[in-house]
Amino acid sequence: MTKYAINRRNFLGASSALVGLALMPSAARAEGDTIKLGTLTPLTGAGGPYGPVMTQTAKAVIDEVNAAGGVLGKQIELISEDDQTNPEAGVRAARKLIDVDQVSAIIGTWASSVTTAVAPLCWESGTFLATVSGADAITALPHQGYLVRTQPNTTLQGRKFGEFALEKGAKRVYFVSPQTPFAESQYTNMAKAVEAGGGETDSLVYDDKKPSYRSEVDEIMRFKPDAVVLGGYAPDTTVMLKELYRAGFEGIKIAFAYAVNQQVLDGVQKEVVEGCYTIAPSSNENATAYKRLVDLIGVEKPDPYTVQVYDQTNLIIMAMAAAGDSTGTAIKDAIRTISQGDGTTVDNAVDGLKLIAEGKAVNYEGASGPCDFTDTGDISNSSFRYEQVLDGKFSFINIA
Amino acid sequence: MTILLQALLNGIMNGTLIAVPAIGFTAIFAVLRFPNFAIAAYATIGAFAAWWVNVHLGAGVLPALIVAFAVAGFAGVAAEETALKGLRGSGALTVAIGSIALNVVLENIIRLYFGNDLRGYDLPIVPDWRFLGLRVGPQQLQSLMIAVAIMAAMFAFLRFTKFGKAMRAVADNADLARLKGIDPAKVALLTVFLGAGLAGTGGVLIGLDASIDPMLGYRVLLTVFAAAVLGGLGSIQGAVAGALLIGIAEECALLVIPPTYRSAVGFIAILLVLTLRPRGIFGERAA
Repeated sequence: MTKYAINRRNFLGASSALVGLALMPSAARAEGDTIKLGTLTPLTGAGGPYGPVMTQTAKAVIDEVNAAGGVLGKQIELISEDDQTNPEAGVRAARKLIDVDQVSAIIGTWASSVTTAVAPLCWESGTFLATVSGADAITALPHQGYLVRTQPNTTLQGRKFGEFALEKGAKRVYFVSPQTPFAESQYTNMAKAVEAGGGETDSLVYDDKKPSYRSEVDEIMRFKPDAVVLGGYAPDTTVMLKELYRAGFEGIKIAFAYAVNQQVLDGVQKEVVEGCYTIAPSSNENATAYKRLVDLIGVEKPDPYTVQVYDQTNLIIMAMAAAGDSTGTAIKDAIRTISQGDGTTVDNAVDGLKLIAEGKAVNYEGASGPCDFTDTGDISNSSFRYEQVLDGKFSFINIA
Repeated sequence: MTILLQALLNGIMNGTLIAVPAIGFTAIFAVLRFPNFAIAAYATIGAFAAWWVNVHLGAGVLPALIVAFAVAGFAGVAAEETALKGLRGSGALTVAIGSIALNVVLENIIRLYFGNDLRGYDLPIVPDWRFLGLRVGPQQLQSLMIAVAIMAAMFAFLRFTKFGKAMRAVADNADLARLKGIDPAKVALLTVFLGAGLAGTGGVLIGLDASIDPMLGYRVLLTVFAAAVLGGLGSIQGAVAGALLIGIAEECALLVIPPTYRSAVGFIAILLVLTLRPRGIFGERAA
């Protein structure tokens, strides 16, 4: 009995220790021998095929930097969480990374809905966020500079979809998408491009939780489109493609490369996806950074998100070195000093850190592209990769 | 007019697919007196079992459906015995909540083994038939006929077999049934097997139309629940009627409201029924 009785002295001692811990500034608690970075990628859900490799890539870059002595005299520790391609799970995981692990930066949020939900937590807590999401609204958030993205925004992507449809001879283009933060801006910009070329457009936003879309497809067919642009993710796009096939649609199909990917090709009947075009923001496959990345992770053709995470991790590490400080605010203030400008061109953080230590300016040229950021956090330049499904395989058209 | 007819046709097709798991759901409710939300996971289990025998053993639709029925049925019985049976003493609400938890567990077990990827049955896909400006898929007609056959078998089972009669007796008045020497525990077990099995075959039929992933059952759970509530919880005919009505309402609603609000149809149906006629269309007493 006495063993568990609360002794007043012990109780007071323990409580004051607890109170003291709580009162300590968070920076003091974070003061350790390591700098913490977090990845928040989709390991499950629609983004599930990408998240694991993205995380592995961030880890590989960090291991490389740690092996070369770390940054600011410290080793970097990576904490990885799963956002489940779901805003609610994403917020929970981000809270853990920010409040418990106290990371300086979060890398890799994928779905626009997740990024939109997580971003406010980041800027409120002074945590830097690097994302691969495309919705326009994301960089329009009041993020005070705490956010950058390496993915071209949907204004640009929508225009490319529209221009491509025109180029393929389509005059009547139908846009169909589930409810996403980028559906509207993608459609508006696609429509602008098509209408500028004398074409007509219409759109339909569907509920992606339904097992079949027959009536939706009936509505699409009533428009008599030459081309259908599919704006969804893989699970719903697969169902939509099947319905279009059953409905006898024989026009042009254009989808995001993340929606019509290898797994979709493996999982559905060949004739359903035959002829479908895919568009994806393209990596710069000629860049030295791209070749380093391929060697580093041993993946022959890394997907665009993996490539972007490689760039984000390198950029964040160099920004900390350039600022001489590892906080999210320091990264925010310094990132543009190493991503763009007249400094020596570098393609990885290890080389960059050496130059920064010598007091030289650097300009990172990444595997995804030049990685130059506008004031709002968008990248200023990107190319796109066009492919078509022919005979059940992806065949390359061009990068433009 | 053609547009409305097409929506009606699509609605009937959708409704018959929903009817199969809805019968399972309502049968379990009739005998055990609690809404078993784990039905979603049973549908997914059935769909994956059928996928496995279809892709690995080359089984056709019918054998795959039988396997799905058996696997989902046994999974249902095992889950009921281990997880839910012990909760029955604490009231229907407790078991219902338990079944939600069970659903999450089962769904994630499937995810653990099969992963999150989309899968499709290894069956040919054929373009729709067209007539009078309407279109209908041969595959859908096949599913429709299978669903109708399953329903007919279920009705015959309830009407003409000893176990079927026992099930109806327990559903009608459990105490009276016991006095007549019917063992309620046995009937409960059989009902769960049947209910989960029907959910499993329903899962296959839904998967045939689209594709399968661990969320398959969960996505249609609301519609199935709404169908059962609309028809009157515990009434088999009610579940069929409710499913058809919900199916038709969902498709026709698309003509007037944006498709994003499609899920709202199920909620509105539940709301209306609970407000205006809580016992549902065929329900004999307030549930």
